[in-house]
Amino acid sequence: MDPFDARLLIVTGKGGVGRSAAAAAFALAAARQSKRVLAVAMTDSSGLAAHLGRTSLTYKPKQIGPYLFGLAIDRARALDEYLKLQLGIGTRAPLLPIARSLEAMAETVPGIRDVITIGKVLFEVQSEEWDLVVADGPPTGQIMSYLRAPRTVAGLIPGGRARRQADTMAETLASADSALAMVTLAEELPVTETLEALAELQAENPIRVSGIWANRVIEPLGVSETSLEEVASLAARNAGLLHRGLYENQRRWRKHLPDHGRLPFLFGVHGPARVASLLADEIVT
Amino acid sequence: MTDIVLVAGAGGVGKTTISAGIGVCAARSGKRTLVLTVDPARRLATALGLDSLDNMAHPNPELGLLWAAMLDASASWEAIAHRHAPPEVADRLVTNPFFEAVATRFPAGASYAAGEEMAEEVESGHWDMVVVDTPPSHGGIEFLNAPGQMKSFVGGRVLRILTGGRIPGRNTLFDRAAKPALRLLDTVLGGELLEDIGDFLFDLRHTYDGIARRSQSIIHHLEHASMVLVTTTDAAPLAEAAKFVDQSPGNTRTPIVTFNRSLPESWVAPRETVIDPKLAFNLKRWGAEAEYQRDIRREWRATHSGPIVNLAWRASTPNELPALESLARPVWAALEMGR
Repeated sequence: MDPFDARLLIVTGKGGVGRSAAAAAFALAAARQSKRVLAVAMTDSSGLAAHLGRTSLTYKPKQIGPYLFGLAIDRARALDEYLKLQLGIGTRAPLLPIARSLEAMAETVPGIRDVITIGKVLFEVQSEEWDLVVADGPPTGQIMSYLRAPRTVAGLIPGGRARRQADTMAETLASADSALAMVTLAEELPVTETLEALAELQAENPIRVSGIWANRVIEPLGVSETSLEEVASLAARNAGLLHRGLYENQRRWRKHLPDHGRLPFLFGVHGPARVASLLADEIVT
Repeated sequence: MTDIVLVAGAGGVGKTTISAGIGVCAARSGKRTLVLTVDPARRLATALGLDSLDNMAHPNPELGLLWAAMLDASASWEAIAHRHAPPEVADRLVTNPFFEAVATRFPAGASYAAGEEMAEEVESGHWDMVVVDTPPSHGGIEFLNAPGQMKSFVGGRVLRILTGGRIPGRNTLFDRAAKPALRLLDTVLGGELLEDIGDFLFDLRHTYDGIARRSQSIIHHLEHASMVLVTTTDAAPLAEAAKFVDQSPGNTRTPIVTFNRSLPESWVAPRETVIDPKLAFNLKRWGAEAEYQRDIRREWRATHSGPIVNLAWRASTPNELPALESLARPVWAALEMGR
């Protein structure tokens, strides 16, 4: 599966599966192929920033490596931009109170937070500045609500500029230029959640799924039963048993997944930037 | 007197499994125990006797003193509306399209609902112990802050922001002519939506007295609760664990920090020689992982006080009562010590 056959790649995954690491790895891998890449943090930006070797990301795209730029969505500023640029509400209008009201409502009203966030991502895609926009997206449990947001909002608004904007957003997401990568672990809960989201995605088709990636995959130990039982070192035997047990379990859960890519478990490597860089090696090869 | 154990931590660290294990240990020691759990994997739910999808407490078929209930934010919020608002307002609230959103999407909503369930069960006097598996947002700190946030939300914070000042009457909220900001908001969102939101927020204010009172009792219960903070040595859950410790209100108890998926320190520099090259290589790479874990735990000890428990990394997640009990046994021992 080619993760870079699109101009927008949204990465999703249940909390704790390594979604931000994978998103950073996709961005790095594409930048290494001399694509001009923008990595966008759609929700909490600390994870993506760390995996890109930064302490934070800014709302204004900033270069963070060769061909690689980073951006963190600040909802209040995205909203301001949305009102000014997308809806053509003049700068003389009292934007601050509206922005604050919408901020308050974005906490409660389904669709608003999501459409503003996804709107900013699509705005960057449409800007033609980037060969690829990689978005570190919301967790799997929320991804449908984000992807549905443009249609939800379009359904709420009878017509006018905001309606046209929402329609355009939905069209861009559904086009061949946009793709979703789903990251999971080969464990019961994340696999179940991924399969549930896949079923919803197939039913509603807001975006095409370009790949499913199993993260922290353990490869087979490659040692016979007898040599494992006969090894004198208790530590070596226990490490072998744990490895084999994890491999067997993962294999069982991976069988539930459709065709998927594999990202390896990185023994002893935990520095976020190093993790992303090693995963990027795996994606390219 | 009901003892409360609050189990916090980031998603994916094994919090739900450990909560269940603590429940098994408590029931085995003769306590009438309720485990309030969030989104358990199917096989764990089965082990707990939670095959139906309601949010009622069910006894365990194998262990009579162990009961479990699923925390379901939507169902809890329906109960909260009926508990705290007049019947006709409650009926209106639960059918409002925004109700579901507040119950499940407003970050404090799910946590508050869990807190209210906890308070209901604790105050019922049925239980010797209630174990609460906290909803996974911001590593559990949300659970401690939710009562206060909910009180201010229901008290009209959003209404005040929407109208730019004091809470107005129903008619003045929609006097758009007087408020250019509202006129614009109307253009962006459509008038009906704005009115629905306004109606909802007005109705929600009826629950204020009840929620304010309940928030106080939840906060009181939390002060007496034992805390178990589950993490792994991975950077993200560890950062959430640190945040939980740093931001916990001063009057809550020091958590038992539980490092799940721990490897033995003896793997770091094993003295035995291993002849099989594949097994030697395997021990070396797992030794590197064990070394990283050891360093992280040392760093935690150097910067945080309080008890630490290490739970061994198991190849498969336990989901039968004996395995759950043996997994959580060290946490249970630490809880007994702290009492």
